[in-house]
Amino acid sequence: MSLQRPVIWVHEEALGSSNPALLERPNSPALFVFDTHWIQEAHISRKRLGFLYESALDLPITLRKGDVVKEVIAFAERHNADGVLSSLPVDPRLERIAVSIESHCPLELLEPEPFVTMPRPPRLGRFSRYWREAEPVVWEGF
Amino acid sequence: MPPQPSPTSLSWSERPGDLPRDLADRRALDSLLAEQFPEAGGRLSTLRGGRDAAETTLSLIDPRRYTKSRNHLKGAVTGLSPYIRHGVLSLAEVRNAVFQRIRSRDEGSKLINELGWRDFWQRMWRDLGDGIHDSQEELKTGHDPASYARELPEDIRAGRTGLACMDGFQSELTTRGWLHNHARMWMAAYVVHWRKVHWKAGADWFLEHLLDGDPSSNHLSWQWVASSFSHKPYFFNKGNLERFSDGQFCRSCSSSERCPFEGSYEQLESQLFASQGSIRDVPNRRSRNHQQRSGRQQELKGSGQAAMARPKR
Repeated sequence: MSLQRPVIWVHEEALGSSNPALLERPNSPALFVFDTHWIQEAHISRKRLGFLYESALDLPITLRKGDVVKEVIAFAERHNADGVLSSLPVDPRLERIAVSIESHCPLELLEPEPFVTMPRPPRLGRFSRYWREAEPVVWEGF
Repeated sequence: MPPQPSPTSLSWSERPGDLPRDLADRRALDSLLAEQFPEAGGRLSTLRGGRDAAETTLSLIDPRRYTKSRNHLKGAVTGLSPYIRHGVLSLAEVRNAVFQRIRSRDEGSKLINELGWRDFWQRMWRDLGDGIHDSQEELKTGHDPASYARELPEDIRAGRTGLACMDGFQSELTTRGWLHNHARMWMAAYVVHWRKVHWKAGADWFLEHLLDGDPSSNHLSWQWVASSFSHKPYFFNKGNLERFSDGQFCRSCSSSERCPFEGSYEQLESQLFASQGSIRDVPNRRSRNHQQRSGRQQELKGSGQAAMARPKR
């Protein structure tokens, strides 16, 4: 990793201790932002926010709300960071946020531990096809 | 209300605008959320977030009972989806916990298969991107796509359909934020096929409430029900719902004399769909995101009227 003084952006897919960014830099300042634009646009209910909040409280992270990109950039400046470290998201909304952050400062994304590591990318045409390739590899760990 | 677990302390100072980490109990959290996010409706779920709750839930999984009973509402399903969805638990961690609890592969194959579905949906989401919000194929219901209502009817949203099952599912969805997979499928089929509502209206409504709120799994499963991501539309009948819900809704249903789900599969198929012949003959036409993307095709051949929510699971 090239960043020397990163802050960590924790997003909605990685609110756990296996977050690879938190594992990589357990002492770096870390932040979770409630995305108010998403909450309003998707009419996210309070119980979903409560679940996220309770999960975030178990991690050593600052909680804020607002525009995620602006909040992450401001948090990096507040801590005089040389970049932002996070976990690789799947959600395209989070990918777009990551791209916007990267347009302001260096960003590194770490892959979470995979469920199964395939020798080559599986064919996804249908579940049965994927599972025919993945299942034997999964069970190698048993 | 039970107190919140002691929050992990931070080694850096707080700034104005940081949300509080020190909350006395869940009532304080509920009040805080009401104040900070007044637009977010409802109350907290009885299901708690966080690592302790996740570990407790994980400690209760029973792969052998899961294998036999998972399609029943009272079956031994794990309830882990909200924790997996938000990374509180990783799939790898759950996989290892399953391995530790079984003596043979047979005992755990169904539950491991279920974890495989989660991994598959994630891979599909990477593949399709925002395309999950679009119908992947033409409908096989024989109905014009434009004939489906774009708004969710108020009686469904408010749990006032008069059908004990659907109103019960609405209540679970909007208060607890979690539904058994079979209930999700029944409700989706009711919304799309009986009420002729576009799948996206129902899918978006689910995401407002589900704690696991996984857009890929949710949207593609709604499309599987609707038949824009499968070979045939999924539907069910009263016998199927009664069996897997142990009759808990039908016994007290005020609409039992005029149950819309009563009938054979042949009768319901002819009532719900305009052209059964077309079900098998419509060519796939997938919506694309930025590039040619693959998708799940004809995964569940012949399963439209099967008793199980996702017959392969």
